[in-house]
Amino acid sequence: MIEKVAVRNYRLFRTLDLAFSPGMNILVGANDTGKSTLIEAITLALTGRLHARPLIQELSPYLINLNATRDYVAKLQAGTSPPPTPPELIVEVFLRGSNETEILRGTNNLAGEDACGLRLQATLSPDFYAEYQAFVAEPANVKLVPTEYYRVDWVGFSGNAVTARSVPAAASVIDSTAMRLQPGVDFHLQQIIRTHLEPRERVELSRQYRSLREEFSEKPAVKKINKRLEGDSADLSDRHLSLSIDLSQRNTWESGLVAHLDEIPFPFIGKGEQNTLKTLLAIDRRTEDVHIVLIEEPEIHLSFASLRRLLPRIEAACGDKQVIVATHSTYVLNKLGLQNLVLLGEGGSTTRITDVPADTVEYFKKLAGFDTLRLVLAAGAILVEGPSDELVVQRAYRDTRGKLPIDDGIDVISVGLSHKRFLDLAVRLNRRAWVVTDNDGKTLEQIRERFAPYLDSPVVSLHVGADPSVKTLEAQIVAANDLATLNRVLVRDYQSAEEALASMLSDKTGTALSIFESEHSITMPAYIQSVVHEQ
Amino acid sequence: MSNSIAILAAAGSRKTEHIVESALATDGRVLIATYTNENRCQIVRRIEQKVGAMPPNITVMGWFSFLIAQCAKPYQRALTKEPLLIRGLNFKGQRNRFTKKEEARRYFLDAQADFFRDAVSDFVVCLNNKTSGAVIGRLERVFTHIFVDEVQDLAGYDLDVLELLIRSKIALTVVGDPRQCTLTTNTGARHKKYRGAALADWLSERADVCRLETRTESYRCNQALCDFADAIFPAMPRTTSVGVPATDHDGVFEIKPAEVHAYVARYSPVDVLRHDRTVDTMGLPAVNIGIAKGSTLDRVLIFPTKPMLAYLKDRNPAKLKAPERLYVAVTRARFSVAFVVPPVR
Repeated sequence: MIEKVAVRNYRLFRTLDLAFSPGMNILVGANDTGKSTLIEAITLALTGRLHARPLIQELSPYLINLNATRDYVAKLQAGTSPPPTPPELIVEVFLRGSNETEILRGTNNLAGEDACGLRLQATLSPDFYAEYQAFVAEPANVKLVPTEYYRVDWVGFSGNAVTARSVPAAASVIDSTAMRLQPGVDFHLQQIIRTHLEPRERVELSRQYRSLREEFSEKPAVKKINKRLEGDSADLSDRHLSLSIDLSQRNTWESGLVAHLDEIPFPFIGKGEQNTLKTLLAIDRRTEDVHIVLIEEPEIHLSFASLRRLLPRIEAACGDKQVIVATHSTYVLNKLGLQNLVLLGEGGSTTRITDVPADTVEYFKKLAGFDTLRLVLAAGAILVEGPSDELVVQRAYRDTRGKLPIDDGIDVISVGLSHKRFLDLAVRLNRRAWVVTDNDGKTLEQIRERFAPYLDSPVVSLHVGADPSVKTLEAQIVAANDLATLNRVLVRDYQSAEEALASMLSDKTGTALSIFESEHSITMPAYIQSVVHEQ
Repeated sequence: MSNSIAILAAAGSRKTEHIVESALATDGRVLIATYTNENRCQIVRRIEQKVGAMPPNITVMGWFSFLIAQCAKPYQRALTKEPLLIRGLNFKGQRNRFTKKEEARRYFLDAQADFFRDAVSDFVVCLNNKTSGAVIGRLERVFTHIFVDEVQDLAGYDLDVLELLIRSKIALTVVGDPRQCTLTTNTGARHKKYRGAALADWLSERADVCRLETRTESYRCNQALCDFADAIFPAMPRTTSVGVPATDHDGVFEIKPAEVHAYVARYSPVDVLRHDRTVDTMGLPAVNIGIAKGSTLDRVLIFPTKPMLAYLKDRNPAKLKAPERLYVAVTRARFSVAFVVPPVR
């Protein structure tokens, strides 16, 4: 299993150091925080390949972190002495020590730690010393890192070069998002199938396929055609022309055989089914090596029902393999277990929480519709009971600050009565959380007691109507405004506060929507104002 | 109970065979190290002949490759202060003799970060001390059994590495014949008194931690050849020939240069051995004695050196400058050895 990963100057990671859990790891993060890049980097260190080709063939200046490139170019142009070394691209994967991995042990890693692991690096090659000197002689023309003068080394922490065969770790990557533009063969599927088969089975397939091709040219009809071609070609050349199936190495069973599902060729079945199948093939793979399954956005192309069937299979695979899943789906996150959360933030910052209480993890597994991911990804969250609170709080925020909370990265989330479950998460993620709730006739003391353990946290604050006789949001609004204001905002003609309250309670969401959309503002109840006035 | 064994064996006693069979019978990762490329290739060939292909748990490496890849590189930064610095071996170069050992980078490595030949095992021993035994600790986790063939070639700090291996948890089998010490891994001053045939003394001093076995059967040479070879090293145990068939031309012979071509034609195939390429072998294709080590030939024709000629006359081993070379040359043959002796003027 992968214990941790260290990345330097690879794409959007200038510096990334991230530890993993033995079983399931769920990567979440906003767009452009590097979920895919991290999976790509891990694959790179485990296979030496990027996009299924050796890194040296794929190496381009754009793989080097932009900030590192800028620093390098700036130093170069400032004429610092000695001239700066161009940024080194390094990806290290630390593997748990086992019989298979001990051969990779050593201290040849960034941390200088005595550990088993693999390191892929692209650095300036001394072989290109003269070219590089000429290149940097004109700093004004340098815009990018000269990766054409780089060399790629794939080594163990032992300091010895490794090969694809000698690496005692197998990575299965399931990337549902990648576009397959090349016609015909799905190399990705092939790779998955190839690794799923045992060596003996692969050899047998190869042998059978070859003999099939050989038989083809022995068929009488084919022979007859070739006989005729031979005669025709005599005019053109004194050599013999004939047709036969390509027997060269390149044309193996892997490109000639296509997977079928219920007799339908794989590329013709639905995208969702394709992904499910790929995932299942990968997680069922039998291998003696350390096996790591990397799954990118399993939710893509899948209906809710299919996803619900697939996720338990992924979870079950964790028994003997390490699984790393990148997702944008709160459902996937909840189902696979919030305790496995790895959050990628801006600039390679990471947050890992492993101590979410088990009952809360179970709670969200069962009620997987709750938007936990929104809390995870937000700068802060205002936790309200339902849609009417959500609308009113947003309006209050806009009245005070001239913009909606989401514009400040603050999400307003309806959590029903699950405040405490969300707080379990917020406290561990160090997310600012405003708890907004009706007092339902209880005193402030009683409510504080209900949230007692969380209120000690500096990130949690409680916002609730202080007067127990004013029980609900609607009652609080009626209490805070005169009748004229209410009638203006709600476009009604209530004769008394009692009538207004009764009507508002009978259509809470409609009322809240009117408040949210009205061109006139109401006076917000004090406990809601305390949310938006803070900071 | 010691898990280290040293087997000192006569030529033709199937030393390499023993290593190959033991290695194939071992579970877990096995390393076979030997100094020369020729011997390494021969071990690989023998294994492939026996089981078709090299099993994945067996690694056959040159002694220097073993030291550099498995001992020096993993923890190199402890001495060189830099990871991934060491490249390989500089077999010919010498360090500047004023460099102090404290300057590890310049003391052990040349400008290209290749090891000086004399520095490799020295580095490994220093590194193991510096890392409180991490080097050996790593080997213990990686390898179940280490075999060292042609152990008589090891010298200097190699013996300190051997000592560390003997005292480690790894099962160690070293095999060799002190009489065949025609090469040496390095020429450093350390342990000079144990070089060559004296390696047997070094091993017997460690008999409490490394069981010492001797093999005195030769499955290659007939008794006449064994006796002739034994006489070169009178202090070593006598060798008994086992199961070598008799032919019409067995034993040690002396022929005149004028008879050479007729002799070769009559007893063909006869392999010609020489000291080095400067020796005139009368137009016959020949092999250097040093390179012939490890091989088995039916009949051998030797163009002797001056000291060898002196020895042939009065059989006084003290006259031999390089007794090991004569020993190696004679013990290649199964049936007959002929020396080309020029007539005395």
